[in-house]
Amino acid sequence: MNVLWCVFTGPRYWGELVRMMDVLARRCLIPVGLAVAPVGAVISLQGVEAFREFGAEGMLSPMLGTSVFRQYSPMLASVMVAAQAGSSISARIGTMKVRGQIDALAVMSVDPVRYVVVPGLIACIVVTPLLNVITTILGLASGWLFAVPIGGINHGIFMANLFAEITPMDLWVGLGKCMVFGGAVGIIAGYLGLRTTGGAEGVGRAANNTVVATILLITLADYALGLLLLALQI
Amino acid sequence: MPAIEFRNVSKSFGDRQILKSISLTIDEGSIAVILGPSGTGKSVLIRCLIGLLKPDPGGQILVFGTDVAAIDERRRADRLKLYAVRKRFGMLFQDGALFDDMTVGENVAFPMRHHGGRMRESEIKARVADKLARVGLKDAVEKMPSELSGGMRKRAAFARAIAMEPDFVLCDEPSSGLDPVMAATLDELILEMHRELNIGFIVITHDTAEARLLGGRMGLLNKGELVVPFDATDKVLRSNHPAIRQFFDRQKDGPIQVV
Amino acid sequence: MFKRGWEALETLADFLQFVRRAARVQFLRVPPRAQFLEQAVQSGVGSMGLVTVLILFGAMGLTVQGFTSFQRVGGQSVLGAFVGIGGVRELYPVLTGVIVGARVGANFAASLANRQISEQVEALEVMGIDPFHYLVAPRLWALTLTLPLLCAYAIFVGLAASYFAAVHQLGMNSGNFLNQLSQFVGFSDLAAGVLKGVVFGWLVAVIACFFGYRSRKRDGAEGVGIATNKAIVISSVTCIVVNMFISAIMYT
Repeated sequence: MNVLWCVFTGPRYWGELVRMMDVLARRCLIPVGLAVAPVGAVISLQGVEAFREFGAEGMLSPMLGTSVFRQYSPMLASVMVAAQAGSSISARIGTMKVRGQIDALAVMSVDPVRYVVVPGLIACIVVTPLLNVITTILGLASGWLFAVPIGGINHGIFMANLFAEITPMDLWVGLGKCMVFGGAVGIIAGYLGLRTTGGAEGVGRAANNTVVATILLITLADYALGLLLLALQI
Repeated sequence: MPAIEFRNVSKSFGDRQILKSISLTIDEGSIAVILGPSGTGKSVLIRCLIGLLKPDPGGQILVFGTDVAAIDERRRADRLKLYAVRKRFGMLFQDGALFDDMTVGENVAFPMRHHGGRMRESEIKARVADKLARVGLKDAVEKMPSELSGGMRKRAAFARAIAMEPDFVLCDEPSSGLDPVMAATLDELILEMHRELNIGFIVITHDTAEARLLGGRMGLLNKGELVVPFDATDKVLRSNHPAIRQFFDRQKDGPIQVV
Repeated sequence: MFKRGWEALETLADFLQFVRRAARVQFLRVPPRAQFLEQAVQSGVGSMGLVTVLILFGAMGLTVQGFTSFQRVGGQSVLGAFVGIGGVRELYPVLTGVIVGARVGANFAASLANRQISEQVEALEVMGIDPFHYLVAPRLWALTLTLPLLCAYAIFVGLAASYFAAVHQLGMNSGNFLNQLSQFVGFSDLAAGVLKGVVFGWLVAVIACFFGYRSRKRDGAEGVGIATNKAIVISSVTCIVVNMFISAIMYT
């Protein structure tokens, strides 16, 4: 809660924030892309067969679209951000903690929460949706690759059905989810990082726990959001 | 014949040469001290000796007649030779390197369990108790390493290093991180084991007091070279070589430069 | 950019060398039993709870999401097929692989890195014990053998959770749902899941051990963090990518 208060009040460390965002975006791009692209491919791969059986090949692209936009891209982008950014943020804070640097900050009257936790948190909230845009495109592209040239579905039908069924709302849902999940990554990483004890091994444990906890939380939140959106008919 | 002989041993990491053509001999059952400022390749030297690092081609390290420098760990016969050499050594690591998932007693028993061959459990227990008693940790058998203080951990590691009654024990900075009293206790322990069990010690350190106390033979390493020939401690101490004087008189300026 | 690419290549070369040595020790010698059992219990039994919770919600999420998508195009009736194919064949094994990579793999990396940094690995070598045999091989065997079991378990949990979500939350007809499910999911899919588990298990373990083992004393506490981070990221990406290839080979 203290953290939330700090997010909205000064002093802010803009330099630290910009640096964090830059590092996160660069480090996460490749893993996130590598994680989402195969998913689009797998959906098409499995979908082509299944829909053919029902004689409903036209349904493939809307299904691919909605599930990539709303579900897989946000979720996997966040899971990979958790794996990459979450573990490195908490390992970094953990290292600072066991080396006494956190105490050093406090002695120099720099609030460690403002200096190390808040920039990471804001960076996660901003960067995850940005990554999501790229991965959504990648997911659709790889889905198209496996559906059209490889799966033998007509390009025109694929595109027409895709654009007919995807609404801007899908994009917003995806981006919104990403902000929530990204925030979860930042908060958990900061919290567990600051609680690190027990030397080098403790750092590993903090990084490890962060990833496990965030992945669980993301899955849980995803389910809850899914139900909520269903109830609201969005 | 000396037990250990370095002949023109060099070691480089990439284009940085850490050891430059080191030659020295160490007799069986003797104490040898390698002294030097931080980062001059002292620990690289003993790691080459035990085959943890492979020196550059050209040099030889004869240990009880085996050339450790020529060993190719990928070959099974060579690996067995290396293990045979290692069994005659114990090593005391800088921070102890106790296995932190085992109790102190299990740590000391560990080498016996793996190499003791037909040692009976009761025999192992007796020997663990004996070694721990020698280092003054009789009551710590059941403790975990994390419950021990720095000095106790080091002494427990010492017990493990002498568990197999080796010919030599390599000590990597035995006094670092210890208060002067504990450091002196550890040095006394080294001398005691040397007298009572006739174990040879190869000690690397930057502590001049420790080097004086241990005696035996000594070499001062600077930038990968022995500044004076490896010789009896008294003789080295009397040398007028500027590096020796600088190091023992604790001067800021001289041939040894701060990096 | 060029330099980073070169570094990546060097890492890959190191990795291949590590794999060669690890595989030789793993398959040619019997691993120490006590260590193997300890690791197997920790990674297998220790992950059960986590896998249960994750798959429970993952599966329910998948079902709800699938329903929303189909509602729009008017094909709720194919939800069973969607859950069967998407879940059993793909999502559950991958999720299990990723989460176990995050928990157990990261744990392997952290503990090996910690042992390197505190010189415990060198201590083993000095005592004439091959650390690959004593530390790496038991971990490789443990995860290679437990992850397939976890995958099989995940499939059952996932099916149960999907059924619950579809029938009780979304009000689908139970018979219909099961009927469709059985049309698309059979014993072969369970076998495929288990096979994926074996592959993921070995890969996650070997990647994690590599990054842990590569740490050096001078890296300090930071090194443990870096090793853990790399193990998690690379093993999860590997699971997802390898899953695509296995699926491409098996289902086309």
